[in-house]
Amino acid sequence: MDHRSGELGIITRGSLLEGMEMKLNPNRSVEDIKAGKFVVIEGEKHLFFSMITDVRLEVTNPQILTHPPSRENTLLRQVLSGTSTYATVILRPMLALERVENSHLINPTPQPVKTIPTHFALVYEADEEDVSRIFGREALDRKYFNIGKPLDMDTPVCLNLDRFVERSNGIFGKTGTGKTFLTRLVLSGLIKNEKAVNIIFDTHNEYGWGAMKETGGNRQDFVKGLKQIFGNRVAIFTLDPDSSRRRKVQADHEVLIGYDQIAVEDVIPLQDELSLHPTAMEAAYSIWARYKNDWLDTLLERGEEDIQALADELRTHPESLAALYRKLRRFRAFKFLIPKTSEDIIQKIMEYIDKGIHIVLEFGKESSMLCYLLVANIITRRIHELYVKRTEEYLATQNPANRPKQLVITIEEAHKFLNPRASKQTIFGTIARELRKYYVSLLVVDQRPSGIDDEILSQIGTKIIALLDDEKDIQAVLTGVSNPTGLRSVLASLDSKQQALILGHAVPMPIVIRSRDYDEQFYKDMGFLTEKEREEKVAADIEALFG
Amino acid sequence: MKETHIAEVIESNTTEMIAQCRDLHCSPPFGSFVKVKPTSTSVEGAGFLIYGLVFNVMTNSIEPNRRAVAYGKTEEELRNEQPQIFELLKTEFQAHLVGYQDQTGIKQILPSQPPRIHSFVYTCSLEEVREFTRQSDYLHTLFTISRVPPDELIIATIRNSLEAHAEDAHQYLIQVGKELSRLLREDYDRLSSILRRIAP
Ligand SMILES: Nc1ncnc2c1ncn2[C@@H]1O[C@H](COP(=O)(O)OP(=O)(O)O)[C@@H](O)[C@H]1O
Ligand SMILES: [Mg+2]
Repeated sequence: MDHRSGELGIITRGSLLEGMEMKLNPNRSVEDIKAGKFVVIEGEKHLFFSMITDVRLEVTNPQILTHPPSRENTLLRQVLSGTSTYATVILRPMLALERVENSHLINPTPQPVKTIPTHFALVYEADEEDVSRIFGREALDRKYFNIGKPLDMDTPVCLNLDRFVERSNGIFGKTGTGKTFLTRLVLSGLIKNEKAVNIIFDTHNEYGWGAMKETGGNRQDFVKGLKQIFGNRVAIFTLDPDSSRRRKVQADHEVLIGYDQIAVEDVIPLQDELSLHPTAMEAAYSIWARYKNDWLDTLLERGEEDIQALADELRTHPESLAALYRKLRRFRAFKFLIPKTSEDIIQKIMEYIDKGIHIVLEFGKESSMLCYLLVANIITRRIHELYVKRTEEYLATQNPANRPKQLVITIEEAHKFLNPRASKQTIFGTIARELRKYYVSLLVVDQRPSGIDDEILSQIGTKIIALLDDEKDIQAVLTGVSNPTGLRSVLASLDSKQQALILGHAVPMPIVIRSRDYDEQFYKDMGFLTEKEREEKVAADIEALFG
Repeated sequence: MKETHIAEVIESNTTEMIAQCRDLHCSPPFGSFVKVKPTSTSVEGAGFLIYGLVFNVMTNSIEPNRRAVAYGKTEEELRNEQPQIFELLKTEFQAHLVGYQDQTGIKQILPSQPPRIHSFVYTCSLEEVREFTRQSDYLHTLFTISRVPPDELIIATIRNSLEAHAEDAHQYLIQVGKELSRLLREDYDRLSSILRRIAP
């Protein structure tokens, strides 16, 4: 065994269930020990990769607490420190790696932890090799994507993107903790390494083109959107072309949705937002029963004057019908909703998806929750339908050429779609539940995970969690995590920006990271070329072609 | 420089020795280190350099059954008027054996043989004290001496050795303090009292 450096302390006691206790070396300051730090316990037969979950001050003698040394009595303080007064660090072993006897080699596959290290096993800071051994390296395989670094370390932690896209995933954290930045990082990884095609429902116009970055002062900086980094591999669809133009965004496509493309199912999830009574929903179904795709057009056309006649015709309650009309009347104000469209937006989206082009759907000024819910539902429901059909075709033919491209749909404010009530009614609930049977999965971004249905939360494959301070939210994100005790304190002690706990399917063990900087270097790593670089490259290509 | 001895061993056992000082009232201080040089390097088993710690100093009559008597005069008057009475007095000290030095270095262990009678006793130089007190294991044997209050002995010993650690006095005190803290396990009050009195 090569000799490790960075000794932190020794294991004094512990259990599989509660984690291990380490006595901190007297020469280490307890204030350097951070919750979430990645450490290694060198057991007799295994290395235990662990996370610091708690830190505690201890005294051997209660007398000390009755008469604590005064401030001036530095000698007494220093004498006591590390012996009579010391720090205990609670570690949670997350993975074990077998040490091969009498050899430098280590059996390379990390195993779940089924035992604990012996008494007085030494504990070290993890080193670079540990990190890359566990989390992989970008250079090894395109499935690895650098998402950040462990606390106090300088080696990248990688997400396994292949595993990431196998499930729906979540990015959580209070407002301002870096969710959107993390999401852009993850999406960049998926785009760069071509692991999935993305549709991003971008209510706040932060993903496509130039998003704001808080700088702490009054000054505001902008960061690049995905379209700026990835060029024509990303298309911007907009609901509000005026707004896009004003923001100097080159939108690729304007989204127009015909009334005939809106199904009753698309309105059901708006019940809360519109405070629609269930009887109004019944009325909607009764119009649909007769008018099918023209139901909404009919309601909005005849609602003003002719509602009684319509009620008679449908044999339904005029009050419910009138209530429905009064609520849905608001649709008329949406510029992107028109009675008939010449082109099916869904077809358009599918064309892009088939070409592997990622879509950022900007809402411009149409940023009301009502609008967001409505559009996301309409589009997702229909795309999902197409995906189901395509998957069935693929399964029937088993022709690899028919295999649908993995699709990831990103939604912010996810609890609006996935709260216990909505998740049973919306397409998003269905997608989250069916895993990726139909090659569609979700990337849900939310600041209030306690609002999301437990059942959905427990289906989420990989969670990237920034600071949360509401106990309910912390509990919610740890739903379905075995033995979550230690992780609670880790979550509550994250920095308020750019730090996150990652756990689940795409990482071999939970780890706290400082997320990768989303900056010039990152754009470059993603293949972005500045104007000048591009010109040079073109010149070089020409040179290469024509000599 | 040739060292001159300050005393001569007149009684010894496995853990202690008594030495008589060359000059009246000229004992090494309470809580200071002394060394006993081997009588002869050629004599087999004549021993190693042995270190002791002075824990008791006494001055009394050279005649076993006589005591000095009170004269009611100052020492100066007495020296002028009856100088002979000082000839009848001797100063002795008791030292606890705290370790020895063999070819491999200093050991804080009792020597296998006590110092021989009539060996000469010397004070330890600052370097020797520094070398010896690099470790603090000897401290625990000081608690076993019952004839003097051990805390007093420890305080005196540490204060005396402090000069030898002038360069890193604070570090030295922490090291010693930690050893004491270990030895006094359950007695925080006693520890803090000792430390308070040690501090320069
Ligand atoms: N990876 C990162 N790189 C650079 N800055 C970041 C990063 N993560 C967070 N930040 C900073 O934190 C601020 C808030 O991040 P944001 O993603 O907008 O938070 P949220 O979406 O959770 O409200 C950003 O404006 C930026 O200044
Ligand atoms: Mg955000």
